[in-house]
Amino acid sequence: MRPLTRRLCFLNASLIVCAAGCASDGPKITATFNQGAALVGELPMNPLAWRVISSAIDPGSGTMSTLYGNDAAVTYARTHSQHDFPAGSALSLVTWTQMEDARWFGAKLPSQVKSVEFVTVTATQNGAPQYSYEAYTGNPLKKAQDRPYGAPPDRIAYLLSSPAAVMP
Amino acid sequence: MCAEGGEVVSMRKAFAWLAGVLVIAVAGIQFLRPKLANPPVTADLDAPPEVKKILQTSCYNCHSNETKLPWFDRVVPAYWIAARDVKLDRAHLNFSEIGKPPAAQQKAALYESVSQIELGAMPLPDYRRVHPESVIHPEELAALKSYLTPAVPLPPSTQNEISAADAQYEKWIQAAGATPAVSPAPNGIAFLSDYKNWKAISSTDRFDNHTMRQILGNDIAVQAIAENHIDPWPDGAAFAKVAWLEQVDDKGSIRPGAFFQVEFMIRDSKKYAETLGWGWARWRGLELTPYGKDANFTSECVGCHRPLAGTNYVFTPPIRGQL
Repeated sequence: MRPLTRRLCFLNASLIVCAAGCASDGPKITATFNQGAALVGELPMNPLAWRVISSAIDPGSGTMSTLYGNDAAVTYARTHSQHDFPAGSALSLVTWTQMEDARWFGAKLPSQVKSVEFVTVTATQNGAPQYSYEAYTGNPLKKAQDRPYGAPPDRIAYLLSSPAAVMP
Repeated sequence: MCAEGGEVVSMRKAFAWLAGVLVIAVAGIQFLRPKLANPPVTADLDAPPEVKKILQTSCYNCHSNETKLPWFDRVVPAYWIAARDVKLDRAHLNFSEIGKPPAAQQKAALYESVSQIELGAMPLPDYRRVHPESVIHPEELAALKSYLTPAVPLPPSTQNEISAADAQYEKWIQAAGATPAVSPAPNGIAFLSDYKNWKAISSTDRFDNHTMRQILGNDIAVQAIAENHIDPWPDGAAFAKVAWLEQVDDKGSIRPGAFFQVEFMIRDSKKYAETLGWGWARWRGLELTPYGKDANFTSECVGCHRPLAGTNYVFTPPIRGQL
């Protein structure tokens, strides 16, 4: 190889090495799931398979929640400002602790699931609505024996009275 | 060395001739100088001195009217690159005029800047290499973040804000799911009215602009999450990011107030090859007004998402388990 060619080759090689090695000085961000926020445990229904009714943030406890509903519940909530959900409706409030968003300064994301609450609506024989409430807590999620958020009637009222978030 | 003596001599001559031509050419093009003036500073950033100093050292050379080019940037052709870049950079963000827009918009620009710094996208990696003094060190980044982090909780929403949100809600409930006629985005993307029936893959609490958001994925996106095919996302995958103004009650609890906007990312690696392989669109307000004066609005989307090449330009790390 002639010296000039050799020199050019060296220059070329160093340019290629630089293009490959020097260009990424930022933190390495890769396509990952938010593994910690997954709902792991024994749940009777999967709220993530449902649609969103609304959401909430409690800065005091550093948590954020999403209220999901099955088809009956979502259809009702998006067309009625009353709270008389029909029999067959199921609503679920999933609450996560929050974490800073590593990809956007100024945002917080769901971190670890803290609780999953369910309200289901059935009808008694005379047609009157009947409500039931369950809460799941812990990691993995297990049916709570205590009352993590207070009396069930209060929680039923809270879940059913949350107005649907406007989604035109 | 295996070359013959005569060949070396003729090669040296050729080199000398070439070098001479180059020197003359480089000297000649020095006179081709696009104008790069420093217009007056009209509304400079109002921030504590320690914060301002970091931005002045690392950002002001390209993002202000106080550009001070070092000698090696004044030499053509480097000067051409510098002149072009400074003009583009000032148009995107200019700290000498940042005081002009409303306070919320000023703040948004600062939060976006810090995110770009944190992602390693700013100052530009190439610029940092040539201008090592512009590198923002971890303690400087921490100072910028602590300056922007709110010290007090959000005050309760005003009666006007609550009334506006309530009125919007009543109107929406009355419409009972009827889809209004919606104009397409300026880049031709049609409104996807079924977004509200997609499944949630995450939510965000945006304390930088007091909105709360749900990120929804269509069936292809949800299937890709289930099968771990998110790098890259398959063609046809789409996300909707729905944003509401945060409505704060007397106890500080927050729930969605007025609907603010819905934005879309629609994956098509060929059709949208020029915009990172994604189609971008955004509609605002209950009337779903398309965002952007013309098709170039996507440069804003692309500018913000570009640093996320490692995640196929998606900000949200999805929560799994929809299927």
